[in-house]
Amino acid sequence: MITAALAESLTQALVVLVLISGAFIVTRKDLLSLVSTYQMQSLLLAGVALSLYSVDQSPTLLYLAGLTLVSKVLLIPYIIKRIQRKINISRDMEFHYVSPIASIFITIILILLVYGAFSNILKELALSNLFYLGAVFGISLTLMGMLITFSRKKVITKIIGYLTMENGVLLFSLFITELPFIIEVLILVDLFMIVLLATILSIGMDSSVEAYQERFHQLHIEDLQEKLHLHRKHRGES
Amino acid sequence: MNIDANYVAYAFLNTAFIILISPLFMGVAKIVKAQAQGRIGPPLLQPYYNLLKLAQKERVYSNKSSAITKITPYINITIMIVASLGIPLAFAPENSGGLGNIILLLYLLAMGRFFMAAAGLDAGSTFGGMGSSREMSISSIIEPITIIVFAALAFTLNTMDMHQMFQTAAQEMSFLNPALILVSIPLFIVLIVETARVPVDNPETHLELTMIHETMLLEYAGRDLALMELSHAIKQTMLMAILINILVPWGYAREFTAPAVIIGMLLFLAKGIILATFIGLTESSMAKMRLFALPNLFIIAFFLSMLTILLEVFR
Amino acid sequence: MQALEAYLAYSMLVLAATLLSRTNRAMNLIALTHAVSCIALAAYSLGNAPMHYFDNNFLIDSLSIYEFFITGIIFFFALVYAGAHLERLVELGLLEKRNTKLYYLSLNCLLIFTILSFASNNLAVFWIFVELTTFFTAFLIAILNSKKNIDASLKYIFVTSTAMLFAFIGIILIFALSESALGKGTLNWDELLANARSFSPGFLAASFAFIFIGFSAKSGVAPFHTPLPHAYSKAPSAVSTIISAVMLNLGIYGILRTYAVVRQTSAAPAASNLLLAFGLLSIFVATFSMLHQRNVKKLVAFSSTEHSGLMLIGLAIGTPLAVFWVLYHMLAHALTKAVLFLSTGILQRQYNSNNAGKIINAFKLQPLASIGLILGGAAILGIPPFVIFISKYSILVQLAGYSLPLLLLVLLLLLLASAAFLSLGTEIFTHTQDTRIERYNAPKRMTAPIVALIILVFVLGIYFPSEIYALLTKIVSDLKF
Repeated sequence: MITAALAESLTQALVVLVLISGAFIVTRKDLLSLVSTYQMQSLLLAGVALSLYSVDQSPTLLYLAGLTLVSKVLLIPYIIKRIQRKINISRDMEFHYVSPIASIFITIILILLVYGAFSNILKELALSNLFYLGAVFGISLTLMGMLITFSRKKVITKIIGYLTMENGVLLFSLFITELPFIIEVLILVDLFMIVLLATILSIGMDSSVEAYQERFHQLHIEDLQEKLHLHRKHRGES
Repeated sequence: MNIDANYVAYAFLNTAFIILISPLFMGVAKIVKAQAQGRIGPPLLQPYYNLLKLAQKERVYSNKSSAITKITPYINITIMIVASLGIPLAFAPENSGGLGNIILLLYLLAMGRFFMAAAGLDAGSTFGGMGSSREMSISSIIEPITIIVFAALAFTLNTMDMHQMFQTAAQEMSFLNPALILVSIPLFIVLIVETARVPVDNPETHLELTMIHETMLLEYAGRDLALMELSHAIKQTMLMAILINILVPWGYAREFTAPAVIIGMLLFLAKGIILATFIGLTESSMAKMRLFALPNLFIIAFFLSMLTILLEVFR
Repeated sequence: MQALEAYLAYSMLVLAATLLSRTNRAMNLIALTHAVSCIALAAYSLGNAPMHYFDNNFLIDSLSIYEFFITGIIFFFALVYAGAHLERLVELGLLEKRNTKLYYLSLNCLLIFTILSFASNNLAVFWIFVELTTFFTAFLIAILNSKKNIDASLKYIFVTSTAMLFAFIGIILIFALSESALGKGTLNWDELLANARSFSPGFLAASFAFIFIGFSAKSGVAPFHTPLPHAYSKAPSAVSTIISAVMLNLGIYGILRTYAVVRQTSAAPAASNLLLAFGLLSIFVATFSMLHQRNVKKLVAFSSTEHSGLMLIGLAIGTPLAVFWVLYHMLAHALTKAVLFLSTGILQRQYNSNNAGKIINAFKLQPLASIGLILGGAAILGIPPFVIFISKYSILVQLAGYSLPLLLLVLLLLLLASAAFLSLGTEIFTHTQDTRIERYNAPKRMTAPIVALIILVFVLGIYFPSEIYALLTKIVSDLKF
């Protein structure tokens, strides 16, 4: 049987790893490794839920771990990877506003700010230090996800950012309170729908230049031919 | 500073031990790299032979160089030996004599670096100057991070004194302490950067334009070169010792008796060889980074040590 | 007492019928009955409120009824318009024919989830339904065949949903707060309102800040207004009408409910300052974005941001009268915005553009849409005798009692906004040129809603029905202002 002290230090280690995976997502360019990191992060979250369960014995945590495992470790990454293969891009080179280094700096500043802001708010809940840590790291992860969503251009990366935010909220809720399980399920369904829609739309946005032009050609092919013809004529005259 | 008999014994033993084993770790890393590349590699004791050979050769100075070139090897080895007193490899005396302070350690390392860079510039050769300028620009980025890493360490173990840090780590045996595991990653990065190893620098060659550390030694020959290389090896062993004695302090001598000390030393040797193997493997699995990509590596160290400090705040 | 269940059953029937029906007209008709059923639900509930449903997770009280009415009316007119508009979109190749069914299905779903959000009693359930409306709105924006539409839709999803996640953090905080104060966590509006005094004010203010961020993105409050101009100008006009008139109310509704809870504690001044700051920022940003705007639909979109700013300021004042007029402003703004969006929709189909430069001989080609735009513009600026005049004026009077310098600042900004409308209006309607543009004959079904709405806006401007007065008074007292 796992002792409470061991569970606590295990939880702490897992939470830290979750945050590190967030930092990893903030800096990565490689889309495939982004999805895998997200998968890893969700797995770690399920681990956090399980290690909390070993202390708490509340069945909701167990269900939550299972739910996270099925939806976020298996289903969503599978869909995103399929779409990724379809749109045929593997790297997101466009750091829209901030470079990776700057985003890590921003991340650190965000964590410190959250720590400062929440030290007052959360005092009233009389949380233990571990839970305080989890809550602060949860909010930090949410903000990191937001940073990704708004600093990158590729839609797939934005989706990963959004999913990271959601993971941050989940982490936060794990340590703050226990919401009714049905609400957690509904939220996940919701998230799933939004992500699905955004991913499908991303095919329209992120498809490679060639694919887009191919479509474009189909539309204006006669037009183009005409222009080309005129152009040749013009050259012949001069 | 009150020096007792124990401290004197420690000082002699520790210094002798670090000088003795440092070239060995260099050799181990070299062999691992060679094996990873499909070569046989030099014999294990090659660094010792090199040092012996170099010590017998004569020194040659450029007629442009000043006294800086001449005194730097001696200053450097002195600094390293003094600094090594603050890092007890296998056992720590009751009082550290004030030498274990990590701020002192950082300053000593910075001073050594300053003299190295000055010596690189001194002879007026192009390569030396380039090496010095690169060394200085890299160190200006890595030094704040090194400070944060050591601050995280001090925060976690609740002391500024290296001797006490090792003793606390040995007593707690806290292998599962997330903070310590976390801080060991930036420590490793600092180790790689400070010892001029692959993602940052390439210790194998002297003449390529991308090199940093080795280009500063170009002007040295004979005994001076031997001293420089030895001090470099000692620096590496010191940083390795910090990592080893904090992350895996098993067998660290808790009392100052002959059997405990001998066991401690042997275990340290074994752990050091494993770590050197690991360093060699990391080196051969990575390509050298562009100079401008280096901050990416450093920022990881920075981020992780900030996290460590946060973790400690929540404890 | 089973009104909500009956409505749900009927809406399922509507969805099934839409799935089975073949023609555009049939689907439109079915959707129209759906909108009428919402009004019927509201009318039925009027005498029986408050009604609790499903384990008290749903509650229809006076405020929900009021929102039902607005939603039903706006959806009704938008759907009448959408029927004919859709045919034109298919004709132009902007919408694929096989997508028309999808279009009606999502419109119906959007209506269902909007009604369900207004009927939720549970904060988390409300959050979930609001997210679902975001989903369907984004879907409706993206349904047209254009990369720009997809872009606008994605922007809308990301800004709204990311903000909504912050609202969820606030919800978690409120749950934890109620758990520590009451022993058992609750998220029900009525229980929160009843027990508000036992909550710690600082903590409640923090939760409110988070929830405010989320819902203000839904109603286009600056700085979360960024996707709206794109979304409004790219979406089909019926959909823009719905986003601007109904989705905006949805956000304000969420803020109002939470604010009512905070209002009971000593955290009220902090929350009020927050609302005031964001309200001013919205008006400021909207006004200055409007000044150089040459795109008619984007101008109208920014005006929505301006009006939600005004509503926030009204809420920040917090007197019962101010809240009363904010509620009335919700209705007034929704109706007027509908006039504007439906009129610009006709112009857009005439010129295939919303840019002022492209609109030529507007009076000759589209007299009705032009008059709709002018009257709607006058109405949205608060010129008497239109309905916004009453609500806007009354909110400003309340503001005068709250702080005079603030009133002057807001007045100045509103004046600038009027200037923006005026300058774009003169540019559009004085632009005549001898060109042979084929006249687009807007069908009756597209023009009739505009005429009806203008009449409604005018009538409400000169006559204040006592039923609305009674309902609004009841809401204000229900919310304990």
